[in-house]
This record gives sequence, C-alpha cells and structure tokens, in this order.
Amino acid sequence: MSLRHLKAVVLKEIRHVLRDRWTFILVLVTPISLLFIMAYALTVDIEDVPIAVMDHDQSAVSRNFIQQLSAGEELDVVARANSLEEVERLLVDGTIKVGVIIQPAFGEYLVGQRGLRLQVIIDGTEPESGTFGMEQVAQRTEAFVVRSLPTGSAEWLRPIELKTRALYNPGLEPRVDLVPGLISMVLGLPALSVALALSREREHGTLEQVLVTPISRADLLVGKMIPYIAIGMINVVAIPIMAMAAFGIPFRGSFGLFFLVSIVFLFAMLSMGTLIGVFMRTQPAALALSFLVIFFPGFFMTGIFYPIAAMPDELQMEAMLLPGTHYAIITRSIFLRAVGLEILWPNVLALAGLGVVFTAVAAFFFKKRLG
Amino acid sequence: MNEENGNGGGPAAAERRDTVIETRGLARDFKDLRAIDGLDLTVRRGELFGLIGPDGAGKTTTLRLLAGLLKITDGSATVAGRDLTREPEAVKPHIGYMAQRFSLYAELTVMENLRFFSELYDVLPRERGERTDRLLSFAGLTPFKSRRAEHLSGGMKKKLALACTLIHQPPILLLDEPTTGVDPVSRREFWDILTELYTGGTTILVTTPYMDEADRCTQVGLIYQGQLIRCAAPEAIRAGIGEELIELQTDQWRKAQVVAEDLPGVSQVMTYGDSLHLLVDAAEERLPDIETRLEEEGIPYRSLRATRPRMEEAFISLVRDRERERLR
Ligand SMILES: Nc1ncnc2c1ncn2[C@@H]1O[C@H](COP(=O)(O)OP(=O)(O)O)[C@@H](O)[C@H]1O
Ligand SMILES: [Mg+2]
Repeated sequence: MSLRHLKAVVLKEIRHVLRDRWTFILVLVTPISLLFIMAYALTVDIEDVPIAVMDHDQSAVSRNFIQQLSAGEELDVVARANSLEEVERLLVDGTIKVGVIIQPAFGEYLVGQRGLRLQVIIDGTEPESGTFGMEQVAQRTEAFVVRSLPTGSAEWLRPIELKTRALYNPGLEPRVDLVPGLISMVLGLPALSVALALSREREHGTLEQVLVTPISRADLLVGKMIPYIAIGMINVVAIPIMAMAAFGIPFRGSFGLFFLVSIVFLFAMLSMGTLIGVFMRTQPAALALSFLVIFFPGFFMTGIFYPIAAMPDELQMEAMLLPGTHYAIITRSIFLRAVGLEILWPNVLALAGLGVVFTAVAAFFFKKRLG
Repeated sequence: MNEENGNGGGPAAAERRDTVIETRGLARDFKDLRAIDGLDLTVRRGELFGLIGPDGAGKTTTLRLLAGLLKITDGSATVAGRDLTREPEAVKPHIGYMAQRFSLYAELTVMENLRFFSELYDVLPRERGERTDRLLSFAGLTPFKSRRAEHLSGGMKKKLALACTLIHQPPILLLDEPTTGVDPVSRREFWDILTELYTGGTTILVTTPYMDEADRCTQVGLIYQGQLIRCAAPEAIRAGIGEELIELQTDQWRKAQVVAEDLPGVSQVMTYGDSLHLLVDAAEERLPDIETRLEEEGIPYRSLRATRPRMEEAFISLVRDRERERLR
C-alpha cells in the first residue's frame, strides 16, 4: 500500500468524473432522476387494481365474498367471467390485473373448515400491481374468513406475506414502501460506473501504461473505488431528503445509522462493480453484465417489489448474496420502523462480508497483466 | 568459478554485466498461435537497438513480454538483471515503457498526466517540478502544458507519452513504434530525441515497421513471424545477406521488370520511382548478361550499376532465405 499512489489514482478518477460528461451524468444526475421516474412509474396505477371474478359456487357465501372483495378502494371488480378462457382473455388484453376464481363448493368447504376453494391468477407482466392486487385479495379473504367462522378457528388459514405491509404501511400506499427499496437500486449506479471505469481503461489502453508502473494491485483497485463511494455518499444524503420532500416518505429512524450503513452498502456494491470491471474487457460487456447481476436481480430478487418469502427456496438463498436484499431490509426498517442496529446487525454484517469477499475475489483475479 | 557467479574479471563476465536485456528461447502463445517463437535477444548497455519487422511480426508482443505485461509461455527473459518469470514487478522501476497505442488519459492535461506518472513512479516531490519542466521543454511541450491530452496532435501525443515514460529517469527504455502514424517532421524530431537520450547513456529498445529507420540504430534485430532472423549492426546486416543489388534506371521500367524477372541469378525485382532494384547472387558477374538482354529487347536505359542494398532489400532477401530453408 502506498498512500501516494492511492491519492494519485483517486485524484485522476475524480477529474475524469468531473470532466467526462457521460460519467458525470451517470453518477451524479441519473440516480436522483431515476428514483423519481421509477417511483412515479411504478405507483401511478397501483391504486384501484381492476379484477375479474368467476363464481363457480353461486352460493350465498360466495356472493358475500365478492361483495367483500369490492368493498374498499383498492380493488375494482370490473368483470364477471363465466369461464377460465374469459379470465385469460381479460388478463391478456389488460382489462384486469387479477382474476379471482371461486371454485365449486367454496361456501361448503369454508363453513366446514376444510379448505379454501379459491384460485387467484395475476398478470405476471405487471408484477407490481399484480402482487399488490393479490395481497389485497389475500388480505380481504382472510378478513372474510375470520368474520365468517367462530373465533380462533381460522388458524389453519395463513395467506402468504401480508402482515409486513399491513403493519408498517397501514394506508398501503405503495410508494412509502417502495422508495426505501428503490434507493438501493439507484445506488447500483455507482457500482455500474466503477465497472465501466475499469473496463474503459482496458478498452482505451490506459491500463497498459499504468500496469508498467510499480503501483500495487490493491492501490489501483481501491483507488478506483474510493471516488465512486464518495459520489454514492452524495446520493445517500440527497435521496432521502428528496424522498421525504417529494413523496412525503417518513424518516422515522436514525439518519446517522442510515448514513453509516449506506457506506457499507456502497462498499459491497462497488466491490461487485469492481469484480465485473476486472473480468469484462469492454464497456458494452461490463454494462451488459452489470444489468445481469446488479440491476436485474436487484429489481426482482431483493424483495423490493416481490416478497422474498414468495420466492422459491433456491432463489431465496441467492437473494441473500445480493447486497441489495440486505440494504432493502435495512432502509425499510430505518425509514418506516425506526429499527436500530440491535436488530439490523446481521444484515449490516452480511453487507460488510459480501464487500470483503467480492473485493478479495476481484483482487485475486486482477493481475498486473494484459490478456 | 568466478565467471559462474559473475563477480570475476574475465571478458565473459564483463559482457554479462553489460547485458541489460536478454531472452533465451522466449516464446508466447495466443491460443493456437505462436506469436513469439524462440527469441534469443541480447541488448547491451548503451545500445540504441531497433527491433524491426512488418506488422504482425511480434514486436509489440516482445515488448509487452519484456515489460512484464504478458505472461511468458516458454523460455526466459531477464531485464536489468531481474528474471521476468520470477519477479516481474522488480523490473518495473528500471524501465520506461511506451505503448504503441496512445495510452495516456485523454481528459487530463499534459501537466496532469506527467504529474500522475511521477507519483506512480515515486518521484520525490522536490525533484518533480524541475524534472517535469525539463521534460516539457525537451519534448517541446512547454507551451501546451495545460492543454488536455485529447487535443494534442499525433506527434505531440507521442512526445507526451515519451515524456511520461522518462519521468523516473529509467536506464532502459522500451518504445513500441513511437514513429508510426506521425508526420515526417515529427518523426525526424523523435529520432533526434532518441539519439539525444542514447548519447546520454540510456539503453533503448525501439520497434519500428519502417526499414529506413534502421540506420539510426546502433544495433538492429530483424523480426519476422515471431523469430529473430538477423541481429547485427545495420551495415553488417546489409553487407552480409549473401546477395547483391543492381540498380537500373530506365523509362520503360514496366517492360524491363518483366524481362529482369526471368533473368538467371535474379531473385527479386523491386521498383523505386523510375528505377528498378534487382537482387542478384553476384552483381559483377550478372551485369554483362543483363546488359545484353536489355539491348536484345530494345529497352533503353540511363544507368545500370551495382549498388549497396538497403535494409528493406536485405530484409526481403533474408526472409526469402528463411522460407527456402523452411521448405527444405
Ligand atoms: N492479445 C492477442 N490475442 C491474440 N493474438 C494476438 C494478441 N496480440 C497479438 N496477437 C497476434 O500475435 C502476432 C504478433 O502481434 P504483434 O506483437 O502485435 O505484432 P507487431 O507489433 O509486430 O505488429 C500477430 O499475429 C497478432 O495477431
Ligand atoms: Mg505492434
């Protein structure tokens, strides 16, 4: 380690960020704009999910149930279907996001406490409104079952994953829940930048001139990461303030803790970006891989939109290897529930551990050689 | 015994101490391709050594191997007394390497680039100012020191790259095609700079695809398909090819070319403006034959004489010898 070498690399990289227009936009402008765009785009249609109901039971119980479904604001029964094909058609042409199929003998089974003869189909192409709609259906079903049966006898019925949202986001306004998770996505951009920065040096040949100097591999890699961590921190401060001002997101926890955890998260993300940059020789390749391993799973596997508990077991394991998963849990907890380190430490530890492992692997495979 | 460990007096030991770059059976593969194939190269202290060969001959690969940028597939290489297979990092402070492609930071200024490399090479801060000033004026870049590297001309970029490789005053320079893609004036200036460095005692290994630059070197290695086909002083290479050259000046060079190609003893005919160069086995013996033949064909000529082969002709002749050997 040489402080002089480290400083030289950091300074050079900062100059690059400030002088290269596209890098500047990517690391400083995009994150905040992206947060706004995503938050709007993803929440605009979520209230009032259109659904269709197909009643194969035609009993008093099922009619009651349908009434219960359309009681609140969030679900809108726009169609009564007579066949599965019809439900499918409505889903395909976008008229509905969720189809609820009440199977024959629904009422009989329910009263006899033998099971729930109910099937819910959601539009997989729009997971956010689909999931939201399904949760609504599940929640109302539970309420309906609890009300229809004698006290305590509804224990056998446990719909998946609905308590968290209901408890900490009582209005079920999706935005409140989404924004803290989205921050973790947006902070993936500095990781992308560092991956691009490394592959750019290979592509432009500048790496060749640096590799013949006596600089150590660690100084070179860490020197490249530091400026992007610093830039990420600017986002970490700016984004919550924006989120609070623009979306009225509550910030109930400790800002100091959020800041510190964010540094650890950025370190983990950037080490992932560095790892990508070490392997990819061109910027397009680095971009493609970043989408594949940072943004795509960040979107679908970190539990931001899609509850982790609802994923297959193997995917749940993989989700735990993504820094975004832990950070989404942490940010939600700090933002909405004022939870402290005494509960969050395993996630923080996981972030730090992932960062160390990724960096170690990157350093191992980064040779002071070409080709 | 003394000679073995290099401390003794004898001439062999002195020679070994004077050798700053040495490769033995050096080889490098890229997948199925053997890009460098058993290279035995010796560069002595204070030489201006030109590694000359056409595109794809393996010049860049050789220099990258010597700079520790590529892993050696086979054989050995020592630079500044350090074994590259065992301690590539130990070689780095002693060499200045300039890549063929421009590889400085385009968005940094001339000064910032110099400063960056001075720090990576641990140039002492109190020496830095004086040294960068001297290099800037040496390379003629003083008026452009706050200009971004991306806005420099091709020749200036090469000079800046050279200045950056000189910042730590390395005793050995590895320069990869510093004069390719540069205008003729800058090219000459660049060679003047190299000559000055050579005079100052720096050992220089420079590559070029231009045969006419051979005479600016004290020692020349001709490289072809990853092999060194000749290594000697430039005059010695030209004199020792085993073939001689005849120059024929004529207005009807097209017709003369066809005739000359069929003559006995002529191995190669090349055109140079309005004259033809004929590589022959023995010039004095063949001249009368050629004269007779031209008269028979009714081709007038202004002059016909034996002349010194140039490096380009020498190279072509040597390559042909090699191909012939390979076929046997
Ligand atoms: N990174 C590489 N991967 C595959 N082949 C390469 C690589 N670098 C060089 N080569 C091949 O090795 C041979 C020598 O190339 P090079 O050393 O660049 O020649 P020169 O510098 O003399 O033009 C060429 O055939 C070239 O295609
Ligand atoms: Mg080359």
